[in-house]
Amino acid sequence: MRTTRLWPAVAVCAVTFFSALAGAAEKHPDLSGFWNLSRGKPVKDAALAAKLAPNTVVLDDVGPIEYGILEFGGLKLKPAALAKAKAWNIKDDMSVANACRVPSIIYSMQGPFPIEIFQGTELTVIRMEYFDMTRVLFTDGRKHLPADGPHTKTGDSIAHWDGDMLVVETTHLKESTLTNNGLDHSRNVKVIERFKISADRKQLLSTQEFEDPEVLDNRGARFISWDRGVEGDHVHAYDCDPSFAENYAN
Amino acid sequence: MMKRSTRTVRAAAWALGLTLSASALAHHSFAVFFADDKAVVSVSGKVTGFDFKNPHGLIRLEVRDATGAVVQWKAETNSPSILERRGWSRDSLKLGDEITIEGWGARDGSRYMRLRKATRADGSTIGVVFAPQEEK
Repeated sequence: MRTTRLWPAVAVCAVTFFSALAGAAEKHPDLSGFWNLSRGKPVKDAALAAKLAPNTVVLDDVGPIEYGILEFGGLKLKPAALAKAKAWNIKDDMSVANACRVPSIIYSMQGPFPIEIFQGTELTVIRMEYFDMTRVLFTDGRKHLPADGPHTKTGDSIAHWDGDMLVVETTHLKESTLTNNGLDHSRNVKVIERFKISADRKQLLSTQEFEDPEVLDNRGARFISWDRGVEGDHVHAYDCDPSFAENYAN
Repeated sequence: MMKRSTRTVRAAAWALGLTLSASALAHHSFAVFFADDKAVVSVSGKVTGFDFKNPHGLIRLEVRDATGAVVQWKAETNSPSILERRGWSRDSLKLGDEITIEGWGARDGSRYMRLRKATRADGSTIGVVFAPQEEK
């Protein structure tokens, strides 16, 4: 437990260490900073849009917006996934056991909570306020974990630069919700994210693409953008209290 | 005092703006659990509880209904960390405070809402009210 709690601090120290090794000769855009999810519709950057793969539907559920029952924004569900979604009951989510169940990064990255990025040369860390999650994006040329490696809610993220975009491929994600209404991804889902800084450096722009042939016949994507936050602000503790679910029952 | 009103389309659009800004993601789906923006619930009463925890804060309110009976309402708030950036704190409400809460009622018709605005008896709002233009 104590080791787990120390991990974000260790990761941040590692970023600082590697950044120091790199010196001031930063050749890539710096994504570092405190970022609040943009209010309203996310920015749909043309260069990011051009990178989307064929057979990809763009979801319109970023931030506080969410789909209703059996609405999936154009995602084509496999029969088993559709049957599961039809059987889904929101009351099941609103239990002590599930009230604080951590979603994977596919869902949590688009939530209306801020993120904080610490960019290094060998790795970059994203601290997320939502559920106190911490992501590590490796840019040291390593390969993904073996297929039987651990599956987690943050997964295994390998990144590289494509011009001014940081491209992140994430695998090894533990099963979790895609749209918060009964559609879950499998442990074999693959996510591609692209991040870039806007020309005025005031926004962090991104796309999130996911493919999961076990669950979907097509691919899904979201545009997600963030506005640069106030200097000195940092992510707060989420510290979810599952006893909240008792309020639904009483 | 309790009222449940149906608003015009324009008012609904205004409310939608508030919904989008105020309904910070919970674990449960907002769209599935709460009613749409055409029916907005507003009740006034005495605060009997205020929890400032994630995944949501919760306001408990003792309300006198149209028959004079005292009933309990609960208003689920945004995530406390988001509310803090909007001027709320865990001390924003005290037991016995007289307030009016406004929000989207639960689809199941229970006395449960998602808060979008809280107002004190003197008319002052608590925290920064979410404005529709922030979403447009």
